[in-house]
Amino acid sequence: MPATTENQGSFLGRISIRRNQVMSMDGTHDQEMEDLELFQKHVGDRFSELLSTTTEDSSGDALLSISWLRRLLDEFLCCEAEFKAVVLMGRDPSQIAKPPLDKLLPELLDRVVKSLDVCNAVALGLDAVKNLQRLAEIVVAALDVTPLGDGQVRRAKKALSALIAAMLYEDNANAKGTERNRSFGRRTGNNSGANSKDRVRSLSWTMARNWSASKQIHAMMSNLAAPRGAESSGLAQPVYIMSTVLVFVMWALVAAVPCQERNGLGTHFPLPRQLSWAQPMIGLQEKIAEEWKKKEKKGNVGLLEEMQRMEKLGQSLIDFAESFQFPPETERLDEMKKNVEEFAEICKKMDEGLEPMQQQIREVFHRVVRSRTEFLVVLDQAGKLSAPAV
Amino acid sequence: MERRSETLLITITTQTQVSSFLLVSSFHISHFLLPQTPTFSTPFSFSIIRTKQISFFFFFSLSLSLCLRPLITFMMESLPLETAEKIILRWDSTASEDARDKMIFSGDRDESDLYLQAVDEIQRSLSSVSVSEKVNSAIQIAMARLEDEFRNILISHTNPFDPTTEDEASLTLDPPSSSSSPKHPDNDENDEVSQTSLLRFNSDGAASSVTGSYRSTSSIREIDLIPCDAVYDLRCIAERMVSSGYLRECIQVYGSVRKSSVDASFRKLGIEKLSIGDVQRLQWEQLENKIRRWIRAAKVCVRTLFASEKKLCEQIFDGVGTSIDDACFMETVKGPAIQLFNFAEAISISRRSPEKLFKILDLHDALTELMPDIDVVFDSKSSESIRVQAAEILSRLGEAARGILSEFENAVLKEPSRVPVPGGTIHPLTRYVMNYISLISDYKVTLNELIVSKPSTGSRYSGDPGIPDLDLSEFEEKTPLDVHLIWIIVILQFNLDGKSKHYKDASLAHLFVMNNVHYIVQKVRGSPELREMIGDDYLKKLTGKFRQAATSYQRATWVRVLYCLRDEGLHVSGGFSSGVSRNALRERFKAFNAMFEEVHRTQAVWLIPDSQLREELRISISEKLIPAYRSFLGRFRSHIESGRHPENYIKYNVEDLEDAVLDFFEGVAVSQHLRRRSE
Repeated sequence: MPATTENQGSFLGRISIRRNQVMSMDGTHDQEMEDLELFQKHVGDRFSELLSTTTEDSSGDALLSISWLRRLLDEFLCCEAEFKAVVLMGRDPSQIAKPPLDKLLPELLDRVVKSLDVCNAVALGLDAVKNLQRLAEIVVAALDVTPLGDGQVRRAKKALSALIAAMLYEDNANAKGTERNRSFGRRTGNNSGANSKDRVRSLSWTMARNWSASKQIHAMMSNLAAPRGAESSGLAQPVYIMSTVLVFVMWALVAAVPCQERNGLGTHFPLPRQLSWAQPMIGLQEKIAEEWKKKEKKGNVGLLEEMQRMEKLGQSLIDFAESFQFPPETERLDEMKKNVEEFAEICKKMDEGLEPMQQQIREVFHRVVRSRTEFLVVLDQAGKLSAPAV
Repeated sequence: MERRSETLLITITTQTQVSSFLLVSSFHISHFLLPQTPTFSTPFSFSIIRTKQISFFFFFSLSLSLCLRPLITFMMESLPLETAEKIILRWDSTASEDARDKMIFSGDRDESDLYLQAVDEIQRSLSSVSVSEKVNSAIQIAMARLEDEFRNILISHTNPFDPTTEDEASLTLDPPSSSSSPKHPDNDENDEVSQTSLLRFNSDGAASSVTGSYRSTSSIREIDLIPCDAVYDLRCIAERMVSSGYLRECIQVYGSVRKSSVDASFRKLGIEKLSIGDVQRLQWEQLENKIRRWIRAAKVCVRTLFASEKKLCEQIFDGVGTSIDDACFMETVKGPAIQLFNFAEAISISRRSPEKLFKILDLHDALTELMPDIDVVFDSKSSESIRVQAAEILSRLGEAARGILSEFENAVLKEPSRVPVPGGTIHPLTRYVMNYISLISDYKVTLNELIVSKPSTGSRYSGDPGIPDLDLSEFEEKTPLDVHLIWIIVILQFNLDGKSKHYKDASLAHLFVMNNVHYIVQKVRGSPELREMIGDDYLKKLTGKFRQAATSYQRATWVRVLYCLRDEGLHVSGGFSSGVSRNALRERFKAFNAMFEEVHRTQAVWLIPDSQLREELRISISEKLIPAYRSFLGRFRSHIESGRHPENYIKYNVEDLEDAVLDFFEGVAVSQHLRRRSE
């Protein structure tokens, strides 16, 4: 992740400057104001860069594509590091243990704990995506041969129906998926339906039984309100910004990747329209929410751009396979070849991107845990942590 | 191409199944098949296999001995391509009802062997130049069929692993199912083979420990999850699926069936699915139980459940294709492994507080102990993430332990209770801290590894009057943990000194310090571990401190009392014959009596819980008080007795005082006034 290191370098420089200036109490206030403003500006810049480079198609970083999400995670890590530099480093514990931070910080830390479960759920979701990838690879392996025979088409059809079934599994239960699969299933016999069920089960997520991604996100959103009045110029502001960024990123991940129980995820969480740093995030939020609304009714496995495309291509490949007759028409064959090529290209993207993305999620996990620990130490030192243990 | 030929070679020499290659080879079959014993080291077969293949080869030739099949029965001269195609089509389940309802591998052995042979024949014909669409289609039909057969064999051998049998010390390596396996050779041989295969699966150094103690829970101990004849069938199918490019289907089917089996085993082991949020919400007492259970479950999971899954993958897939065994293994256990470790991770990031230290250390110890086995079971590149996660959790648990220790130090320093304990006895804080420290000494081995820096004391905080000073240079040769313990005792004393100031009576304050420091000393002396860690030098200092407190107490109380018994001020110059002022003398006796009564009354309620210390202090008091009183009485008794109402002034004789001192520090109020024995 070259982008990350580069950015870290730039604000690490700022930290050392900060520390020196904290030593001299004169002008600390001005310096602090400047730091806070810079932090806001940087957050705004990062997201507006992300928004402006988001492409409509897969030629670049399409919204909620793997590469886009990886950039989002990078930006998150940068925001997080800068946040720590502004709020925590070189600061006297008493400063962040007094109102309103004595309440706001524990709330943020509570959101952090909740985000850890989201990280785990998303990492598991990415494993499920890897499963889809393998099914897609079977389709490619089956159809990418010349001459194409009945047997290969059958093989592809089987994998495709499992793929589609797995993708539609989540919200519409497996009624539709199983049915579809059965119509293609070669044999039922003594273990009828085992085929599709197994494939679907291989997508199963190992979170706690009652755990719900949407509930988790909603819980993270609660109490999230922009600081008002005098508070809005103090440290309450970066804490609020960081909370918002955290919630936004987790929300986007859950929307993109297969996750346990996501009913009602499309709900907007309020972002402050009047604040400039929030504008690009609002733009992204609206785009994602719109996508979610389109797909929610259908029931889907997630908005991950690659999966969406895979589903679309999968449908047309199924159509091809269903009407396949040997020898195939050249025109249809050419169209199919094009689709298979795109399928292969998506598989390649998944192959290259999913693993690093899982590592990034893990990195996010580590980083927020570390920050939380550091904040807790400071709050404990100040001895004013009144919130219940989280 | 070279690799392929090797694989084929293995097929010839090890499989009892007849491969097509064998049929076309010019060798006479009986040459190959004569040696059927486990010592199967025909020079022919080994000489051409490269070294890295040998372990596999060795293993497989051994498992062959478990799964010997009738050989010659299937030695057909050849299988014409048309016949092969017919066999494949006969079993096309889209074509016939019969084919759909019956499974090849659960039926007649001959039929499954024939089917495999047919597949081999078709596969071989595919490599020839002109491939008809018919042959092409046949292989796809065969593969779909084999996938179903593969799934069916896996499903019919899915018995969740039963942890209750695992807990028994008398566990044997034979899985329950092996007795029902009809083609099993006799048991002696089986034992030998199983042990050898254990050796093989831990070939990187861990082997020696495995062979020695595989029956205990302290090391990897695989069981056979699927009987060997079924493993053999699975392997035969897997080979053909992989060589026909159906690797992904194979992994997919394998993973989905085995994963649900692992899930079922997890349920049997009582491994709960708890989110990090759940763990943070639970009471610590509940979590302590869960930690205990987790440690037990984790050992079984890593050493038996996961290790057995790995072994199974190797038995079926090793050598079939590049790292297929790893892929299948991870497909099966990645989710469960993450779920398992998730709990330990959640504990490692829970809020730090002193009571959590020892359970966290237990967890840390358990995981440390498991680490070598985790490294063995998850040794492949694809399972790196699991290994890394376990290591991360371990380091976070260590960090938590360090954090808790410093949290504890902070808590001891800041423990805020201001109400003095009655009677100057041992403060609950002292007991708590000392018990805590002894527990720390029980965990010395682990903590010595974790605590690598000495406490930040002295110079750094010297400006702060709220923190005691400790000169670390005195403890150069001590381990950081030792210094932390000493530091905790220093902090404790510092806090106790502060608390002693809340006593209105200075004597009681000294007694309180004496009692508490004495308790510290006793606690340290009572534990050889602790004594060694704290060291005799510092112990001497502590002893000096409570002795000093005892002296200070005596000064504070008894100097005043004994002052009444001095000679000065009693003699009047040039007055009466004796030169002693009776009035002054009477006042002195009255003052002494009053003071002694007061001290007796108050200090009988004070408490020195340690009987020896109590005794010593009383003796020390008597040694000063009694001779002084006796001599005072001796010198001046006559002056009082010659006057009126001597009993008003000399209320006590020496024995009375000796008895009265015995009432001191018992923590019991004396009910009546000081008794006079002389009456």
